[in-house]
Amino acid sequence: MLETLANLGLGFSVALSPPVLLYAFIGTVVGTLVGVLPGVGPLAGISLLLPATYGLDATRAIVMLAGIYYGAMYGGSTTSILMRIPGEAASVMTCIDGYAMARKGRAGAALAIAAVGSYVAGTASIVALMFLAPPLAGLALRFGPPEYFALLLLGLLVLAYMSGGSMLRALAMAALGLLFGMVGIDQMSGYFRFAYGVVELGDGIGIVPVAVGLFGLAEILATAGQPTPPAVIKPRLRELLPSRREWGESAAPIGRGTVLGFLIGVIPGSAHIISSFVSYAIERKLSKRPEEFGKGAVAGVAGPESANNSATSGAFVPMLALGVPSGPIPAVMLAAMMVHGVSPGPFLIKQQPELFWGFIASMYVGNLVLLILNLPLVGLFVNLLRVPYPILYPSILVFSVLGVYAVNGSVVDVWIMLLMGALGYVLRKLDFETAPIVLGVVLAPMIEMALRQSLAMSDGRYAIFVTRPIAATLLAVGAVLLLLSLKPLVMHTLDWRARLALAAKREEHS
Amino acid sequence: MTLARTAVLLSLVLLAGASPAPAQDAYPSRPITLVAPFPPGGVADLTARPVAAALEKALRNPVGVVNKTGAAGAVGMQYVATSKPDGYTLLLALSSISIIPEADKLFGRQPAFTVDQFAPLALISADPTILVVPADKPWKTAKEFIEDAKKRPGQISFSSSGVYGTLHMAMELLSHPAGIKLRHVPYGGAGPALTAILGGHVDALASGPAVVLPHIRSGKLRPLAGWGDKRVAALPDVPTFKELGYPDAEFYIWAGVFAPKGTPEPVLAKLRQALRQAVEDPDFKGAMDKLQTPIAFKQGEEFQRFFDTDARRLAEGVRRVGKIEIKK
Repeated sequence: MLETLANLGLGFSVALSPPVLLYAFIGTVVGTLVGVLPGVGPLAGISLLLPATYGLDATRAIVMLAGIYYGAMYGGSTTSILMRIPGEAASVMTCIDGYAMARKGRAGAALAIAAVGSYVAGTASIVALMFLAPPLAGLALRFGPPEYFALLLLGLLVLAYMSGGSMLRALAMAALGLLFGMVGIDQMSGYFRFAYGVVELGDGIGIVPVAVGLFGLAEILATAGQPTPPAVIKPRLRELLPSRREWGESAAPIGRGTVLGFLIGVIPGSAHIISSFVSYAIERKLSKRPEEFGKGAVAGVAGPESANNSATSGAFVPMLALGVPSGPIPAVMLAAMMVHGVSPGPFLIKQQPELFWGFIASMYVGNLVLLILNLPLVGLFVNLLRVPYPILYPSILVFSVLGVYAVNGSVVDVWIMLLMGALGYVLRKLDFETAPIVLGVVLAPMIEMALRQSLAMSDGRYAIFVTRPIAATLLAVGAVLLLLSLKPLVMHTLDWRARLALAAKREEHS
Repeated sequence: MTLARTAVLLSLVLLAGASPAPAQDAYPSRPITLVAPFPPGGVADLTARPVAAALEKALRNPVGVVNKTGAAGAVGMQYVATSKPDGYTLLLALSSISIIPEADKLFGRQPAFTVDQFAPLALISADPTILVVPADKPWKTAKEFIEDAKKRPGQISFSSSGVYGTLHMAMELLSHPAGIKLRHVPYGGAGPALTAILGGHVDALASGPAVVLPHIRSGKLRPLAGWGDKRVAALPDVPTFKELGYPDAEFYIWAGVFAPKGTPEPVLAKLRQALRQAVEDPDFKGAMDKLQTPIAFKQGEEFQRFFDTDARRLAEGVRRVGKIEIKK
């Protein structure tokens, strides 16, 4: 404990030195921008800026790149809340309730809660990273394909909680998403599936163009199709801050999101997206008023936004403690270390204490900078809603196209986004919710890969899922959840979904 | 009249013939693009950046790196293969350049590109892969590993960077001459493949030396043998498969610079000369040193021979692996 504090002192002496502070600041500002711009996520931002760090020393480079990563998690919620366009993939869930809050004139509150939740989660998870990195890293490595498969299956059960309407419709959309997720090179055999000779489709259909198309473009098209344009929301100053009730309802989701995000973030894989999905589902399950979800429940913003921030710190655990990447973003950061002659590996913390502790301390500083930066920006961002739709929407369209193109420099991605926008519009008209499609696109390739890797490991024996303790436990939890959701069918009690339908019926009659 | 016309014609012909010459002398007159077909942070990108910087000094002309990624490198390689052969678009390719067209052929696909669409300029680095196993596994030597694998065909597993990927092919180039059958668990990249063996989810991995060295030193992984012609400098006690009697088990993760076929010979000569200068650049040497990747510079005949042998070995490997049959 004392040693840790002494080390942290060393870290702060590094982090507060003006040049390191400057790069942390640049990183967090760039991260916020990358998060705010639709389509461009932290991976694209870090990749674009990586070459620029080659001239810096290792600590400054890592501090700046990390700033982009967690800064993007702050910025990502902005366009999700204001315009229903996910600023980056992990903010998809925020689109649902954040945008609904904005429509009710609570955009300021949603943005403030997202910022505060991100700050609490960011800071708390660094404490966890500081104390738990070495033991947790070992545990994280025990997550092999079977464990990952079990976790993802749990993620799939989340679908049941994603939509307020008919379960059948939600499942149909999820199946469509899973089908989209099948496109691309079969990782186990090298076959091109449904690529129709388009080389770019070999990498599959990306989550970014799908999410921006289905949420953002569809929203723009739907608004343009309304006979009378929606009234421009004019936020008043006192409405910018969350009410006492909103704070109260956010506290527990922020706490749960923090713990959950960190634990899922530690696991190798694209965990920060999953963490926000799972957090949303848990909050809906635990809520006293699950019917409010999708209509502007503040917990539906607080939970996922905290989880995705906390997951970024979690993702640094295997990277710093063992030198192994837990996803594409830590992989790029490991490369940045190698460029500077820092050999990532199990000795990093001992051999490079200035780097490790400086990095940790800079994250405390960076999160504070982000909070200070983001809270005043709430007022500014909210005023974007005052811009008349004929100007606002075409500009959003332009930024969406640019953002989606910038990620891979691929025109194919832009086409996917446009087609998804058209599809999203049609589905909205038919009263289908599109969030399950996005979840399907995210989960399909991961579930498939994990399942087939597990079976390759076991030579085709399914027993591998029950003989490994972590996988078996996760699957048991999933089975219990499934049984719980079947309970109303057997016990003839009404769950919230049924209550919701009844309430709607009553409304119709009255 | 006729004479005058002939004179005009003649001077036109002369002019036409003469005009490309100054243009060639002027090469390079605008920025050169070096395409890395993989995302920033990968081996191709990390090699391309210092190569571009050193080339820029040698040519006294801007050289920029562009990451054109997708389909395991095929998108960027295809882009260079079909770009104008004027010396302004170059490719930094890895071993996979010889694998992708073979795999395309295997599946009856129109190959995105073929190796003869490129003019090889220089080999920059060639790192042999190393066979590592988790330290808690019983095999102390490559011999023990191979004997055990013979006894239990299909029981010992290995992770790879992906099906037909470099790490998969390295293992195939050992399995065939050694007469063993291993169980393949492909992952989506070299990073996840390393994570898998560190977590004990697979029994073996063929990996570039730089990334596994820290884990060998920490005692988590044990090196058994290398695929190189010579032993790896950092691991002097680890034998090569060649020494152990498997001369065909030779594999390198290499990086080389290519131009599109049809680039004028004077331009190629200038680029070759500049690359020769570039690898001697102290900044370049320092950068490669930090990446712990030894420079293995080869040009002309020597590179062509290395490239051809490597391509032939890999093509045979891909054909031997064949289409992966999905068990029903």
